[in-house]
Amino acid sequence: MSREQTLRTLAGFIAEVLDDELDDDLDIDEDTSFSDDLELESIEFVALAELVQSHYGDHVDFVGWISNLELDAIIGLSVGDVVDFIERSVEAG
Amino acid sequence: MGEGTPVVCLHGLLLGSVASWYFTVAPALADAHEVWMVDLRGHGRSGRPATGYDLGTLRGDLVEVLDALGLSGPVDLVGHSYGALVALTFAMAHPERVGRLVLVELPLPGDQATPLEVLGLEGVAPGASSDELVGMLPADLKAAVLGGGRRARRLLEGLRALTEDTTLLADVSGEPALDEATVRAVSQPTLLVYGEDSACRGSGEQLHAWLANSTHQLLPGGHFLPAQSPQPLAEAIAGFLHG
Repeated sequence: MSREQTLRTLAGFIAEVLDDELDDDLDIDEDTSFSDDLELESIEFVALAELVQSHYGDHVDFVGWISNLELDAIIGLSVGDVVDFIERSVEAG
Repeated sequence: MGEGTPVVCLHGLLLGSVASWYFTVAPALADAHEVWMVDLRGHGRSGRPATGYDLGTLRGDLVEVLDALGLSGPVDLVGHSYGALVALTFAMAHPERVGRLVLVELPLPGDQATPLEVLGLEGVAPGASSDELVGMLPADLKAAVLGGGRRARRLLEGLRALTEDTTLLADVSGEPALDEATVRAVSQPTLLVYGEDSACRGSGEQLHAWLANSTHQLLPGGHFLPAQSPQPLAEAIAGFLHG
């Protein structure tokens, strides 16, 4: 699976979670910040995690990964960070 | 999340949702338990009916959820704040359906610190201004809200809708004190967790005196332990439920 594909998949999940609220002018790329750019609510981040988890299965332990990050790290997460994590997990799995 | 004996987590009012547990406590429990998290009515992605935020109605909601999940045998209940009150009174009403109880920052109605006081809502009447609502928030959320933006707008919209368009505040303040004898009759192993700086520590001490089968633990933080002390809280709950 290519990195670009993973980014597209993730961007699709983000659009699904934000529904019609996604700013048309905002292109989701690896530098997009979940907190600053997307302003995802905690409940939306849960919905995103559920989508990621059900798509990639148990060997991509997204929830476990997030739960081990410090709050500051979670707030600073970019889309690229999550792509990195998914790529690492898929390779390892 | 996870596999094993079922655990059902109930969040606190106004600021809570399944997100209170999802990245904080639930992963630590999922090693040994099937963890379910519920959005109470009006919260998270559940609908927001105008009425029914009293304990009796919320207990009825929980019965429906457990039935729908096929959880007819005893489950462990984990509750924060008003969610802990739902859990405790559920165990009083349906003792056969509850295995163990974890009550985090449960504010006893009629205690010195009432649920509204604990939430900082004592002076907040239905139709409160957004300034009043912002004033009640814990420091980290207050900073986020004052920073503006989409998340702040949605948080305030949610709070305003719950306090203006529903009977939540009236329902919460209308809850009578729990009957001591009925509380004392609860025999399930119970973990009581409170924040060292919380206004409702007194409720924890009272409950510890009433519940013979209870363990009492203080953690760093105030009322919002799932957000303020996620790691210690997760360890405390996992240790109790795994043991």
